[in-house]
Amino acid sequence: MRSFRSQNFYEILELSPEATLPEIERAYRIARATYQPSSVATYSVFSDDENGEILERIEEAYSVLADSVFRREYDARIRREEPAGRPRVAAEAGSAFGAPEPAPAAYPTRSPQADIELEQSVDPEDGVYDGPVLRRIRLSRGVELEDISVTTKINETYLRFIEENRYQDLPAPVYVRGFLREYAKCLHLDPNRVTQSYMERLSTRAGSQLP
Amino acid sequence: MRLTGTPSWLNIRRGRSSEAGDDRTLQRGPAPGQIWAIGGGKGGIGKSFLVANLGAVAASLGRRVILIDVDLGAANLHTCLGVRGGTRVNLSDYLEDRVPDLEKAAIQTPIPGLRLILGALGHIGARETTRAQRSELLRAVRALPADLVILDLAAGTERATLDFFLVSDCSLVVTTPEPTAIENAYGFLRASYYRRLGQALGNSGARDLLRVAMDQRNERGIRTPSDLLDEVERLDPREAQGFRRVLQEFRPRLILNQVRSPEEVKMGFSIRSVCRKYFGIDVEYVGYVNFDNAVWRSVKERRPLVLGYPQSDGALYIRRIAKKILEG
Repeated sequence: MRSFRSQNFYEILELSPEATLPEIERAYRIARATYQPSSVATYSVFSDDENGEILERIEEAYSVLADSVFRREYDARIRREEPAGRPRVAAEAGSAFGAPEPAPAAYPTRSPQADIELEQSVDPEDGVYDGPVLRRIRLSRGVELEDISVTTKINETYLRFIEENRYQDLPAPVYVRGFLREYAKCLHLDPNRVTQSYMERLSTRAGSQLP
Repeated sequence: MRLTGTPSWLNIRRGRSSEAGDDRTLQRGPAPGQIWAIGGGKGGIGKSFLVANLGAVAASLGRRVILIDVDLGAANLHTCLGVRGGTRVNLSDYLEDRVPDLEKAAIQTPIPGLRLILGALGHIGARETTRAQRSELLRAVRALPADLVILDLAAGTERATLDFFLVSDCSLVVTTPEPTAIENAYGFLRASYYRRLGQALGNSGARDLLRVAMDQRNERGIRTPSDLLDEVERLDPREAQGFRRVLQEFRPRLILNQVRSPEEVKMGFSIRSVCRKYFGIDVEYVGYVNFDNAVWRSVKERRPLVLGYPQSDGALYIRRIAKKILEG
């Protein structure tokens, strides 16, 4: 446990030294949101000055770790300072802390993947992708319907009909299939699974809604 | 770890007792199960709602579950489960020795596999338990024949509440994304953390330092737990070692309730980050439950959401949280 003032860049962004660029980008986004001046998460704990100081460290950490050349130099530097293995963590915990057990986590013990899974934890348990499930996934990933419409050039109204299961208002199945594939890609879902699941329901329900 | 000054009951963990010959209660019945405690500092953030629903999920998975309403001042867990309180046997009957065995205070709920020990209803002053009562209660809780016992803690940071939180196998902090609730959640964590430290540190100068640190406006400039650690390190490196162990062992988990947007989902990561940078503790963000009309409908109907509205988003998230914790 060290004050944020003496944390290294990986610790500041709560990353492992092996973090990939997408993980660094994601950690940076979360850190920025957390320590922005109006943040609800920090105002009752850190003073404005401390908050500003942390934010500066976050910017500094990101500017180095997101640049492969700077990062390599930085890693080499902290390895020189802590020559035994991974940048600082293990060695520091073993010596300064003097504890016989593995070090207290200087870096997160949970993988970034676990966090991403948490954000994506609305994926259907039964593998059925209907409109409300798709909407839930979209919202959990912070994607607006308008964004999908702009990216895919699909009319936003049709996208809304898909999410609301308004089968009778959708165009011919061949178009819906194409819409679903594009929609799924935008949310990093498997287009085949989404399309198959949704179209199965559409053919059943649309049939039953016929006069 | 040196635990000078630690109450013996804090060492009561599964299959372990602090004192030789103290295992009598643990030897009764089948092996004791896990204890979860759900706290959060603020009232009205959904602690009882979550206790009822997590318990219902665990019971549906075949676990023998007992829920205990240890909110000795404002018990209402029974209402979330569709159980009438009234004059039925409750926790205060056990505390006042009117019921010799805690298990006898557990009543069956309408949910198979789920029993409930009612809070101290209609008992004015019931909130004030003695240390001996708490110690005995915790021993009895450990001995209950259940796979899972979930404690519904009171709002606030009273000693009894903090002690129940600290002694559990899984300490869950609940908050909503509102500033007041988050502030209270930090306050609750801070109080738990300092209480645990107080128990771990001996009767030394470090303990005096802790008392100083508990006043955030102290003149020594100790504002954060890491400032305190630096001071303890200077004063007594051996005590500092115990301090770090406490940090490692103190691993609360966080549930965000009444989430309305993707941004609020991410608030859980922010709270986790603040806990890491401020307290130096690793809080695990185990999940969130969205704001859902089905939730208040289920509360009005006095039936757990996961049973009344199993297809709702909220029920889906609660099932995921329960499974995640149960699967470790």
